Amino acid sequence: MSAKQEFVDNAKSGKILARKCSKCGDLHLATVYFCKKCGNKGFENAVLDGTGTIVTYTIITIPPAGFEKYTPYAWVVLKLGKSGLRVSGFMTGIKTPADLPIGTNVKITGFDDRGIIVERQ
Amino acid sequence: MEKVCVLGAGSTKYGRLDDSISDITIQASVDAIDSAGIEPKEIKAGYISNVFGVADKQVHLGPVVMTNLGISERPSLSIESACGSGSVAFREAFANVAGGFYDAVLVTGVEKVTHTGTEWTTTYFSYCSDFFYEGGAGASFPGLFASIARAYLNEFKATEEDFAEVAVKNHDNGLLNPKAHLRKKITVDDVMKSDVVASPLKLYDCCPFSDGASSVILCNESFAKEHNKDYIQVIGSGRGGSPAALQDREHMTTIPSTKIAVEAAYKMAGITPKDIDFAEVHDCFTVAEIIDTEDLGFFEKGQGVQAVREGQTKRNGQIPINPSGGLKSKGHPIGATGVGQIVEVYDQLTGKAGKRTIKDAKIGLTQNFGATGASCAVHIFQSV
Repeated sequence: MSAKQEFVDNAKSGKILARKCSKCGDLHLATVYFCKKCGNKGFENAVLDGTGTIVTYTIITIPPAGFEKYTPYAWVVLKLGKSGLRVSGFMTGIKTPADLPIGTNVKITGFDDRGIIVERQ
Repeated sequence: MEKVCVLGAGSTKYGRLDDSISDITIQASVDAIDSAGIEPKEIKAGYISNVFGVADKQVHLGPVVMTNLGISERPSLSIESACGSGSVAFREAFANVAGGFYDAVLVTGVEKVTHTGTEWTTTYFSYCSDFFYEGGAGASFPGLFASIARAYLNEFKATEEDFAEVAVKNHDNGLLNPKAHLRKKITVDDVMKSDVVASPLKLYDCCPFSDGASSVILCNESFAKEHNKDYIQVIGSGRGGSPAALQDREHMTTIPSTKIAVEAAYKMAGITPKDIDFAEVHDCFTVAEIIDTEDLGFFEKGQGVQAVREGQTKRNGQIPINPSGGLKSKGHPIGATGVGQIVEVYDQLTGKAGKRTIKDAKIGLTQNFGATGASCAVHIFQSV
């Protein structure tokens, strides 16, 4: 199974599959092959809880193809709770900026044709 | 290393063009050749930057251009680096002339997409992002820069009206540029009332999708001197990279590749930001211009908005930014933009910029990046 498929399977159950550098301990998303900090190639899997807070976001009203039926929708960058690792995705149920201040508590709930799915906690 | 000069420059109008992608590429190239006062046979290689040739049924543009210039035997190369393609092609050409491989080369950037419509362009441009996390989760390019804008508004004392001031200034400049795409005076109110594309960015915060081609002739110093034409010298060149996805950047309100590229360019030129008389920067969205002017060292982090409020980046300000009108008003034919910025610097430094001339300018800088700044090239030029 490719690293990406494994990542997707974890996201479907609300988890983030991260890779922890076996040399320096730096955390990366599962699709990275070399450590950005020390250059090491060896990693251990670390399955992280998909809860965190919004770092930044946008509400999109003019979408790319395939997203028309969801518009308007939010695309967000979130920071995972304990690790501080950041990941981005599609956030459901958000129509205007007033619905979503930076710092809002959110969780990853799945993965589908909209990519990683994020919902309010 | 050979000294490298820009001996000639040419451009089509930017906007909605009827001619084909190969036609406009050739038109701009011929303009540059005429401007340089050379014969095509003197060109030893061609560098063509383009992203979506597939939209107008022509990729592998190099041989088509060279054949139409009567020099089919000369080597050519097509370069794609998203919206930064033009400056990357220029950099490769620069390196080859500086390294002594060729004494004179052609660099032409082109894009032809407006016939495809907004949905096609929005969708295809999103392929320039780290698609798994961004485009594939519904992030358009306005959406990605809107996320940067949201972070900037949250981190610094800035307002959406401040961003709008950038658009107003660039439209004022573009009014004086006969080749600009959007030649229309606008107000802060117009920007604020325009439709939201991706909050907090509105339509008038965004550059347009444009067609267009721009071209320059690069050569070594002895070639330039022999040809007895106006030329400028490339005194600095730098490139840099950033994480492809925004999520992997420690700070969302700075573009790491710009800082790396400009540091290298300043070092090569042996100058500091204070020595720059004007700059053409990558204002794909209003917030980008503010971040660029900070990353390039013209203003402290977070001070870019104050500089805009005080008019420091206007044509008569302390450091004029985007006298051409920038991507916002001149337009953004993505494969051509980086070359188009260099055309503007050439025109400014050789007295060909007409009413938008920056008085007494001797040193100009260009900064052009791909996607959300995942790749960037900076060049510095001096009049001779």
